[in-house]
Amino acid sequence: MPKWSMVIDLEKCVACQACSIACRFENNTPVVSPELAWEGREMRWNDVFPAPHEEVGDYPNTKTHYLTRPCMHCENPPCIKVCPVQATFIDEEGLVRQNYARCIGCRYCTVACPYGVRYFNWFAPEFESPLEQHLNPDKIEGRGDLEGPAVRPKGVVEKCTYCVHRLRKAHARAEAEGRDFRPDEYMPACVQTCTGKARFFGDMNDPDSTVSKLAESDRAFRLLEEVGTHPKTIYLQEGK
Amino acid sequence: MAHFTRRQFLKISGATAGVAAVAGAVPGLARRSATIEAATPQFQTSGEDVIVPTVCLLCPSGCGMLARVADGRVVKMEGSPMHPINLGALCPKGQASLELLYNPDRLKNPLRRSGARGSGQWREITWDEAITEVAQRLNNLRQAGHPEQAALLYGETRGQLRSFFDRFMRAVGSPNAISKDSLNVEAAKLATYYTQGIYNFPNYDLENSNYILSFGANLLEAGPWVQRTVAGQSYMRRGRATRGKIVVIDPRQGITGAKADEWIPIVPGTDAALALGMAYVLIKAGLIDFEFVHEYGFGFEDFSTDGVKHKGFKNFVLENYDPRKVEKITGVPATTISRLTGEFAKNQPGVAMLAGKGGMLNGSIGGLYAGMAVHILNALVGNIDKPGGVQTQRTMPCTSWPELSSDPVAEAGRQQQRLDGAGSKYPLARHAYQAVADHVLNGASVDTLFLTGANPVFEAPGGQRFIDAFSKIPFIVSFASFVDDSAQYADLVLPEPTFLERWQDDHIEGMGYPGIALRQPVIEPLYNTMNTADFFLRVAQAMGGPVAAAFPWGSYEEVLQYRLQNIGTDWDTLKELGVWMVPGYHPARRGNKRWVQEVVGSDRLSAPRDGRFDFYARELSCALDALSPEQLAALGLSVTGDAVYLPHYEAPSYQGDANDYPLHLNVITLMSLGPVSAAANMPTLMEISGMTVGETWRGWVEMNPETARKYFLQKDDEVVVESPFGRVQTRLKIVPGLRPDTVNMPYNFGHTAGGRYAKNRGANGLTVMSGQTEPATGLAAFTNTRVRVRKA
Repeated sequence: MPKWSMVIDLEKCVACQACSIACRFENNTPVVSPELAWEGREMRWNDVFPAPHEEVGDYPNTKTHYLTRPCMHCENPPCIKVCPVQATFIDEEGLVRQNYARCIGCRYCTVACPYGVRYFNWFAPEFESPLEQHLNPDKIEGRGDLEGPAVRPKGVVEKCTYCVHRLRKAHARAEAEGRDFRPDEYMPACVQTCTGKARFFGDMNDPDSTVSKLAESDRAFRLLEEVGTHPKTIYLQEGK
Repeated sequence: MAHFTRRQFLKISGATAGVAAVAGAVPGLARRSATIEAATPQFQTSGEDVIVPTVCLLCPSGCGMLARVADGRVVKMEGSPMHPINLGALCPKGQASLELLYNPDRLKNPLRRSGARGSGQWREITWDEAITEVAQRLNNLRQAGHPEQAALLYGETRGQLRSFFDRFMRAVGSPNAISKDSLNVEAAKLATYYTQGIYNFPNYDLENSNYILSFGANLLEAGPWVQRTVAGQSYMRRGRATRGKIVVIDPRQGITGAKADEWIPIVPGTDAALALGMAYVLIKAGLIDFEFVHEYGFGFEDFSTDGVKHKGFKNFVLENYDPRKVEKITGVPATTISRLTGEFAKNQPGVAMLAGKGGMLNGSIGGLYAGMAVHILNALVGNIDKPGGVQTQRTMPCTSWPELSSDPVAEAGRQQQRLDGAGSKYPLARHAYQAVADHVLNGASVDTLFLTGANPVFEAPGGQRFIDAFSKIPFIVSFASFVDDSAQYADLVLPEPTFLERWQDDHIEGMGYPGIALRQPVIEPLYNTMNTADFFLRVAQAMGGPVAAAFPWGSYEEVLQYRLQNIGTDWDTLKELGVWMVPGYHPARRGNKRWVQEVVGSDRLSAPRDGRFDFYARELSCALDALSPEQLAALGLSVTGDAVYLPHYEAPSYQGDANDYPLHLNVITLMSLGPVSAAANMPTLMEISGMTVGETWRGWVEMNPETARKYFLQKDDEVVVESPFGRVQTRLKIVPGLRPDTVNMPYNFGHTAGGRYAKNRGANGLTVMSGQTEPATGLAAFTNTRVRVRKA
């Protein structure tokens, strides 16, 4: 059983936001109105921003660091513990997923998540016609109702799935072709599009995989390691 | 995973399924379809998935794309792994391009103005009416003997399109096919032309380079091929054993400077002095490539022709650009200049990069000399056409256009002076796009104006001048996908298909080696649109006579097939792959035949094509010697004699008093919204545009914290940015990575039209600019406007 993991090299990342937007078009996250955006209610499962709480220095000895942030897919995810209805769960391959059919919109998980990667649908998503034409038709049925890119209804929490539907699709294809699935057949949309080739994805259970090797790097760190969430999204530090 | 059994999975029929069923995970090499017989409850998708290769057009990079078409809808764009520029990557603009295709504000039918200009009242017409009207109009001009009164302004033309437009205007009889290059890459192109003798943007081999001196070349956010430079910097940092160093010389830090090893906040408009100060150090310390400068360079040492002594580059620089003097001009300490120069020379191969768009090097008065000074640094260390150095872009051999038949009317028209003053008022200019407004307002007569990929009201500095100029032009035709800022003043607005719905090719630029990429309709056009080139073909046919004879093709697709018949592949293969190239860059040996024919001097019109790199610009001397002393004086140069032909520092001349207007205004291009004005109507890009400053959906002005304190301004204050030419209101953002004497405003905000997502969002900083044109080169003066900022 693979254990999926993502490694992001912050030195190669150029903060272009292609990951955020590849995610949007792969997973059908809506554009919210400007008014909602000004309140900080954008729906981007992966987001890029200047690293907060960091000393940037004074001119001219100043430097801004940028961070790109998908779900950490923690091995010990706090979001699961607080969910009163077991709508959020961790699957056999380590993906932290959300069952939209079970979700009651209490938003405990959005508060519990120390990374702020859970997004609540305050309104039903709207796509001004004919923008709905570009919606990704892929969807999967998980343990509850439609998961993956299927447009979410109002009142549920949604989040990065490491593009679990792409995993299912890759499995389906291997099955249809009568062969075994290989872990390198699948990568999330953000990894595929990365302009700086800063993202790596693979099976952490395979000691020879790129992610396993990069995770051993002395540049490797995890966000908020001290809170004990054990993220599977791993970063490589800049300038070292 | 136990619950996944074979039967539960979707069945994919046929042997073709494997390659293309998953969008982009494996590059679909062709239009191959996968029909799903029965969707299971577990995984559902579309009935038919097709992958179609095409090319992006939301910035000049021209990245290859694979469009996933599911049941006739385009649902996802991925980078094409086959395309050498992006190698499978795709930036946010490309990813969001479906919002251009499926935009609710797209034009659906040809429109004719039915109210006053700019009133927004339109009536739908047929394509035949539009074609007849335009053909009639052009024929009338030809009959009156004034075909030069037709003019065409074009923006990003790709592949064959530029020569196609030029040919159409030539066949009609007008010299006025005017490119907006003078707003961006022209400074760098001219700088390369007057030194290396190649009229093109130089290509930098970043992968093999150890050191980058970026003179405002904003390589991670904007540039002539930003995806190429992003990939290059990523590779030189972490893709190989030795890590290269990047030095960003720019008044603004931005993402490029934040990611670089060193940021040099130079005084705006003084890049020439810094580059020449570096040249001083190179020469003084003996760090130059002596063989190159003496054997393959011209004018490095003093020389004499016909008994007249001329000063060479070496002595000119040694006399004038001591780093201690340069420090006073540029604000860069002399020790830093010496250290950086030493690092640059000792870590070769390295490159000194010119700015495309987004730097403050271009467009200031003296921008040409600044570009020459920067490019000469590459020659001093001898890295012209070397791995890790400067490459020369080669192009695919295209079948030449058939000769135009004899046509006295057109021949006479073509001899007339150009509307933009290129080659006449601006003697060194090839294009002076922004100057068209001035010349029309000064009485130049234009009868018919075509705008394609051009939105001058929005994108030229001081673009409002075009609104007045348009009122003097009887007939304006705009080709656009939206009624944009300029199209709203047109008489005919003709809907263009988006780049995802049309045929267009692309010269792959940025790799050095030649290549062609192909845009093709990934789906049938959604609306009653017509490719602009096809429109001109049909106009030519309707005009009859020599114009029709010049265009014997039935469609633009046929034109492409004609022009690309000898590139080494057939049309079907090109369609299937989306790219065709001759990979591998082979540097020419210094001085041999390929060197002379392809690398140094081959584009020179008057100066000898002797394979020598000009430190003393002979071509410039040929071009300017024809001018009278008065004309020379009108160019406003601060020097005379040999210095005119040597790169030197011209102090920028500013409009307005420095006490009243103390801040430099720098309009920056963002990675998110990019340089194409239609991108402002893509809601996703608007949403992510202000990432670096925590803003969204509206523009802003960036200011150094020290300056903000001085003016008692705080983050998110509504402020007025004011120059002698106008004022705009926007929000203040505090940015430490910025010189205290400079403010930045992002480009692509403040549209007055162009769709619901673009209109009235933020402010357009270009409207407060002077709109001046540099007197010699015809470049738009982007950087000589100063402003003040006060609370609204």
